[in-house]
Amino acid sequence: MASSATTHRHSQTRRESPREWRRFKFPESLYRWAGVLLGLVFLSYSIIYLNIPLERFFTMFGRVGALITDRYYPPEIDYVTQPEYLASVWETIQMAYLGGMFGMAMAIPLGWFGSYNMTPHRRFVYPLARFVTMSTRSVHETIWAILFVTILGFGMMAGVLALTMFCIGFAGKLFAEEIEAIDMGPVEAIRATGASELSVMVYAVFPQVRVAFTGIGIYTWDVAFRAATVVGFFGAGGMGWYLKRNVLQIETLRVSAILVSIVVLVLIAEGISAWARARVAKAK
Amino acid sequence: MTTAEATAREADRIIAARSRTKLMHSAIYLVVLAFVLWSVKTTIVDDTDWARLGSLADVLESISEFVGIDWGLVPNLWEPAIETIMVATLGTLLGVIVCVPAIWFGALNITPYAPITYPLARLMMTLSRSIHEIVWALFFVAAVGLGALAGVLAIAVRSVGFIAKMSAEAIEDLDPKPVEAIRAVGGSDFQVFIYAILPQVLPAMISVIIFEWEINIRRSSVLGLVGAGGLGLVFFRQLNTFNHPGVSTVILAILVLILFGEFVSYYVRKAII
Repeated sequence: MASSATTHRHSQTRRESPREWRRFKFPESLYRWAGVLLGLVFLSYSIIYLNIPLERFFTMFGRVGALITDRYYPPEIDYVTQPEYLASVWETIQMAYLGGMFGMAMAIPLGWFGSYNMTPHRRFVYPLARFVTMSTRSVHETIWAILFVTILGFGMMAGVLALTMFCIGFAGKLFAEEIEAIDMGPVEAIRATGASELSVMVYAVFPQVRVAFTGIGIYTWDVAFRAATVVGFFGAGGMGWYLKRNVLQIETLRVSAILVSIVVLVLIAEGISAWARARVAKAK
Repeated sequence: MTTAEATAREADRIIAARSRTKLMHSAIYLVVLAFVLWSVKTTIVDDTDWARLGSLADVLESISEFVGIDWGLVPNLWEPAIETIMVATLGTLLGVIVCVPAIWFGALNITPYAPITYPLARLMMTLSRSIHEIVWALFFVAAVGLGALAGVLAIAVRSVGFIAKMSAEAIEDLDPKPVEAIRAVGGSDFQVFIYAILPQVLPAMISVIIFEWEINIRRSSVLGLVGAGGLGLVFFRQLNTFNHPGVSTVILAILVLILFGEFVSYYVRKAII
């Protein structure tokens, strides 16, 4: 039976050439190849433009390995267990959650104003809220830290405000997306009773997004903690300052100890946040 | 009568339980509030140099120094802006290449030897995500010297975690039927990969990569602060020469760059997927 099938197929191919299948027809396929070509030209041009030494690139891995073993190993663990450093770790945690909390408090109204289905005014408030979340998100947290340090001076307040700005952008976007995905039935029901926009928000929208907001909040704290480990680098408090000091003093063993401590802390924070988010998702 | 009494007792019990949980909740809220207030006190009230800060008018005055645009700086911004985009693009590309083993080891259904390779890949992903790009850039500046190469490497290493995690999850979720179908007609492992796995995960992967590219523009715009070229270097110079309108100009340029990135990614996404 298999042989008969093959002979049948052979006879068919002899009769007519097999039809050629393509996903894209002529003009479109040309555009696609042109796009790919353009991308490749851009990439190779940028390697030339940035003066990236490719010959150094391939021998680099050995040198990075040598650098780690010569200068960064073994990490000076004693340095990160001293009380001053641990106090700075605690400060970092405080900064992260205060920044996350303030940011969230401002991100919830921004999420409301910036969601297309629930915004009070589509022509004026919606684009404004969108612009605020976009611009706070686009400016990197280190730039916020530098700006606040320049204006307010060294200290943790600058760090908390920088993290607040970062969290506004980060959580505001996610909140708005969450509100845009709600079921509009309850909203109409509450509106039909003549409720104000705020009551609609409180009684129709908020119960639907409560769980998702909690999850996003925990995640925001996790991300803010990662950012908090470096805002101190620019003078905004926390463990980043120790990092900067030791980088400038070329105390590489201490730097590697601090890096190890950052990785461990972030791992712990990630574990807590994953556990808490799983709990919240279960409560749904 | 007994049923009525039982109902009344039951109602009393429920009310008592409810007031107990209410009390409990308010106690928890009180503790949290006290903790937050204490944190605010230690971080903001105690740690700030209020004398240096001065009155509100002084703060507003130092903010007003940043208002305005230094038009003379604008022609000098083109080159660093292009550099920033190039560093982000090359970094993302290199990250995607480095990602391949991490994805292969990190997806439970295709990992070669789960007890060893899977935790290894997970460790790679976490390490890449948990260390901030500024720290990675510092490390690579120390390793390969000042310049764009350090920035490209930092961006690449930093993007591995996210791309690999999302792609590995996409591979773990894939539909096994096409794999079986290709196996059933006698396809080799490589053919299974090309015709059954790749078509299923490619759209998700491409959209993750484009998303990461957008984030990388934001990241590469600050790497200049630690010596890796781009707009960050201009920002640093303007700040150190106290040209505060110039600082705002650079921030606006970063905003425009990111808007451009969002625009490009929207069209590329539409064209590819």
